[in-house]
Amino acid sequence: MSIDRRRFLESAGLGFGSLAANFLLARDAAAATTNPLTAKKPPLPVTAKSVIFLFMHGGPSHIDTFDPKPALEKLHGQPPPDSFGDVQLQFSTFKKQPILASRRTFRKHGQCGMEISDLFPNVARHADSLALIRSMHHDGFTHTAALNWLNNGWPRLGRPSLGSWIVYGLGSESDSLPAFVVMLDGGIKSGPVVYSSGFLPAVFQGTTLRHGPSPILNLKPRDGMSQASQREFLDLLQWNNQRYSAPRADDSDLAARMSSYELAFKMQMAAPELADLGKESEVTRKLYGMDEDGTRDFGSRCLMARRLVERGVRFIQIWSGNTNGGGDWDGHASCDKGHTSMAAKTDKPVAGLLADLKARGLLDSTLVVWGGEFGRTCTSDGSLNGGGDSLGRDHNPYGFSLWLAGGGVRGGKIFGETDDIGLHAVKDRLHVHDLHASMLKLMGLDHTKLTYPFQGRDFRPTDVGGEGEITARLMAP
Amino acid sequence: MIARILPVLLTAAVCAQSADFAAVRAVLDKQCLTCHGAAKMSDFDMRQRDTLLRGGKRGPAVVAGRPEESLLYKAVAREGDLRMPPGKAALSDAELALVRDWIRDGAPWNDAPVSKNAEPAWWAFRKPLRPNLPASAGNPIDAFLLAKLSEKKLRPSPAADRRTLIRRAYFDLHGLPPSPAEVEAFVKDPAPDAWPRLIDALLESPRYGERWGRHWLDVVRYADTGGFETDVHFLNAWRYRDYVIDSFNEDKPYTTFVQEQIAADEMWPDDLDLEGSYEVPARKLANLKKRFGTTLYTIGPVAAEFTFYGDQYRAEWQADAVETTASAFLGLTFGCAKCHDHKFDPIKQKDYYRLGALFAASEDRDISIASRMAWIEYTRFLPRKLMIDELKKKIDLLNKRVVARLQAGPLRKRYNPEAMEKNYTPEEKDEYESLLRQIGLAELRTPKELETASVLVHSDRVHDSHVLLRGEWKQKGEKVAPGFPEFLGQSPAVAENRARRKALAEWLTSPEHPLFARVMVNRLWQGHFGSGIVATPNDFGRQGDAPTHPELLDWLAAEFAARGYSMKAMHRLMMLSGSYRMSSLPDEANAKIDPRNTYLWRMNRRRMEGEAVRDAVLAVSGQLNLKMHGPAVAVPLSNEELGGMRDLGQWAVSGDPADHTRRSVYLYVKRSFRLPMLETFDAPDASASCARRESSTVAPQALAMMNSEFVNQQADRLAERLKKEHPDNPEAWVDAGWRLTVGRAPTAEEKGRALAFLNRNNLARLCLMWFNLNEFLYVD
Repeated sequence: MSIDRRRFLESAGLGFGSLAANFLLARDAAAATTNPLTAKKPPLPVTAKSVIFLFMHGGPSHIDTFDPKPALEKLHGQPPPDSFGDVQLQFSTFKKQPILASRRTFRKHGQCGMEISDLFPNVARHADSLALIRSMHHDGFTHTAALNWLNNGWPRLGRPSLGSWIVYGLGSESDSLPAFVVMLDGGIKSGPVVYSSGFLPAVFQGTTLRHGPSPILNLKPRDGMSQASQREFLDLLQWNNQRYSAPRADDSDLAARMSSYELAFKMQMAAPELADLGKESEVTRKLYGMDEDGTRDFGSRCLMARRLVERGVRFIQIWSGNTNGGGDWDGHASCDKGHTSMAAKTDKPVAGLLADLKARGLLDSTLVVWGGEFGRTCTSDGSLNGGGDSLGRDHNPYGFSLWLAGGGVRGGKIFGETDDIGLHAVKDRLHVHDLHASMLKLMGLDHTKLTYPFQGRDFRPTDVGGEGEITARLMAP
Repeated sequence: MIARILPVLLTAAVCAQSADFAAVRAVLDKQCLTCHGAAKMSDFDMRQRDTLLRGGKRGPAVVAGRPEESLLYKAVAREGDLRMPPGKAALSDAELALVRDWIRDGAPWNDAPVSKNAEPAWWAFRKPLRPNLPASAGNPIDAFLLAKLSEKKLRPSPAADRRTLIRRAYFDLHGLPPSPAEVEAFVKDPAPDAWPRLIDALLESPRYGERWGRHWLDVVRYADTGGFETDVHFLNAWRYRDYVIDSFNEDKPYTTFVQEQIAADEMWPDDLDLEGSYEVPARKLANLKKRFGTTLYTIGPVAAEFTFYGDQYRAEWQADAVETTASAFLGLTFGCAKCHDHKFDPIKQKDYYRLGALFAASEDRDISIASRMAWIEYTRFLPRKLMIDELKKKIDLLNKRVVARLQAGPLRKRYNPEAMEKNYTPEEKDEYESLLRQIGLAELRTPKELETASVLVHSDRVHDSHVLLRGEWKQKGEKVAPGFPEFLGQSPAVAENRARRKALAEWLTSPEHPLFARVMVNRLWQGHFGSGIVATPNDFGRQGDAPTHPELLDWLAAEFAARGYSMKAMHRLMMLSGSYRMSSLPDEANAKIDPRNTYLWRMNRRRMEGEAVRDAVLAVSGQLNLKMHGPAVAVPLSNEELGGMRDLGQWAVSGDPADHTRRSVYLYVKRSFRLPMLETFDAPDASASCARRESSTVAPQALAMMNSEFVNQQADRLAERLKKEHPDNPEAWVDAGWRLTVGRAPTAEEKGRALAFLNRNNLARLCLMWFNLNEFLYVD
């Protein structure tokens, strides 16, 4: 029950007397105890109130971006040395493929001297804010398995996404916007399971903001419909829905639909203001690259993310790369060319987001995560002499990079290492479960205690893993 | 708990009986091999004895002779930290005992090579055998379900009341609500056969084919356009949609239905020379209509870049044919095998391209389906079209003159010929207007294009088929002959180019086929019970879900064949069961054991699909236009809704407003732009077969139901209807509104509140409220 709503009701704007208003107040109070989206106090200390997950769809090559491997120069064209072992890949036979050295130039950045490639000149300026993990790993070498790993903590279907777990654990800070928002670039290789609520109640699933000028359709109530009459409409609807639900209390879908109407009602007021990026200053818009064709798209999503954070949205995911022919990070052919194009679309907006959050004092409480479903191999997918188009890289889930910034994470540090050819994570290996456990902890949640009973078992977001979480090291100076 | 105690008790016990390896292998197959087979999760491969003993990342898995020291046994008995299989129920006591005894006996392995003719290991690849009925009287479906329920200590729910039942039956078979009169007649019908008669009547209505036709269109990724950036318009996709609707309504045997879609031209050959008459002869028409089934293979996704090279287009087209065929008819996911052997199922990359080769002698083509007389009528008026071209030339010349005039000065600006009008002098403008009018008049008198159909025909040249390395059309690998997947048995040689698809159709529809009938009865089951017996209807492989009632599935498959593959017979069989008539209300004791209703102790409540929501709104408002068949209808959309469309010129709104309220199955399906209302309610994207609609619950659905122009307009219509039928009688409005939308009278309290609401709001708002009720959107 927000104070605004109480005032609104008490101001007799409804025109049908205080009795009805009292009924509504009582109903809201009752709803507060049963509404699954009611904000809950996090059990652990909180450093990150919101997460912005910048998802690089397709799997960016770590060895061309954040994990330089000079040894590959000498090995270029040769098969990988036996000493590094063999792995299963999606398309190629690892041992038979020639090594493909990176064409990128790496330079040291910031006071910390973090080596970052020339694909990200703008992000590199924030090196001192980044906690770079070079030892991520899991075992899903197909997109769907890997996308599920990173987003749902399990390679198969049916598990809730991390965003859903977080909203389940913490509820929603915003009563006028969804707590878990997804901004897509187009289709996803795995489909919408990556923001689904799995076996958790449907109310925890991610809400997509449409791409383009009208992010949420049908926001405007019919002409001449005042807020008060909308409310009266909704009260009658919910009263009837409540009666239908009473004997069907086990059906979380029905409850979720009732909540979705409350949310919709409030979104009507909050969302137009949210989506109006024209209100931002020219300087801010430029910071996100919204003045240039190449970066406008991703930049507007990043700017929208900041506005969502300001409005208390818990989990925001922004996708780069789609299945509709607009390009992605899946560099099976001409990896370097594709990555150059994808980086050009995202580098400035991501750097702009970090700078803007910092300038507004929001970075301290907002965890920004950048990464994809896996990294890529040091070997070429095809032969090396087939011209530019054959210089591709296969999927590598056995060792890849991902970075975090803000939300209590101290930057300017590198965690973990891959071997000399970037194949396996070898030092301080960090499994996806450990990453998820760390993210949850920064948000004040204990991954071992955040459970949901399903099919006779208490499931948790990290299954039986996560014991290697690194929150303390991320937060240490 | 029992699992923890068991090993202690039982390792001490002396079991004389030797473990049965086949039974052990079946347990491992079912419980472990999905992850520890070809997938080798944690580097652990249980498919061979040596790799099984060696174990994976955690070290040796089996110490032969010592179950209590074997990691495998400890994991499945859930004794230590490692608890297997994860996320699933623990092994049953019997299964545990098998594994334990087998390890105790030294983990013996039968290494006889699996011969090609041996029974395949995976259940779905073995021919279904008609199982014995469980010992219990009544409908066999109930017998199977009850046997499972009692095994799980679950109790079946009581029957739902008649109001619930008629609504359930109407939405299941028609996707529309029953009228209040129909509800009352059924509720008051004392005859014991009221229910079977209702079902028969529903199956006889053409609304049935529209409803189940739409389900089938999901399965075959139906669309009216090609998607991607160009999103090409398919002139004749609607003929396939009508063919599907008619096939369901005629109760065409499923075998024939499939044969026609794959190979109508090869199985019912006909020159299709429509002869010299105005009337096409009936036999010709029948064969022609069968051929519209093959339109299925002409309406897949198509991008401009597919067409840059002949080979590329063929590779893309065949890939769509393979994947659609495999998903729709085989219930298998072949997509993975395009680039590599399937990681979990025995689908080889070669199988993918052998199946593709069955389509390699065919291509999609538009053929004329006009009679000779129609052709004469058309061509005699063709000069009018030439006239239009000549008039357009005159406009071009006019514009050239204007540009020359404008460029007479020293500055040579460029002018866009599309935006010349603003530069015209009054005389030039007159000339232009006159030419436009002449074009318009000529166009009005131009004959309509001759009708065509888009079907499969045989190619003049047939190229060899190859495995494409990593699925890339340029990378030709090994040459392959047309054939069927090897893991599904021996493949007869397919030599004749003009009989390749016929061979496929006959192989698929053979009574010996392990998947054909199972896959379809499972789809029918899902349509009635909300979830398939195999919950992944397009994946009967190892990645899919295991059947919850394997014997029932096989029995239904056998019954399907025995009943001549009649789909209506199967609807009857399922809907006449007691199980179908169960209530969907909760039961605490059952929910504790089976919260997701996996074993069907009650009926599943379902949210209507977007199409059903739209159709139900129109039916209730009285606006539903039941006209059937014909080209697809594009409905008017608000500018806001059109915002997501790339090219507004690709949305040709139907001129007749009466078309705008036709059933959703007749709406234009544009791959690059889903109708916002349907998209919000989880309409599939038609890029590939959709086996099961998602049923999401998000705020944009609420916004669509409360604020969209469409729903508000229909609320207005419903208000007008109520006022017309019950002039000046608010009580009657409220009563009729409840009956129309949810099939029951309002309670006194509901009525009281609705009337109070009407004191301050107009009737249309109350109508809108009804459309938004959960009771309206869900089917109990």
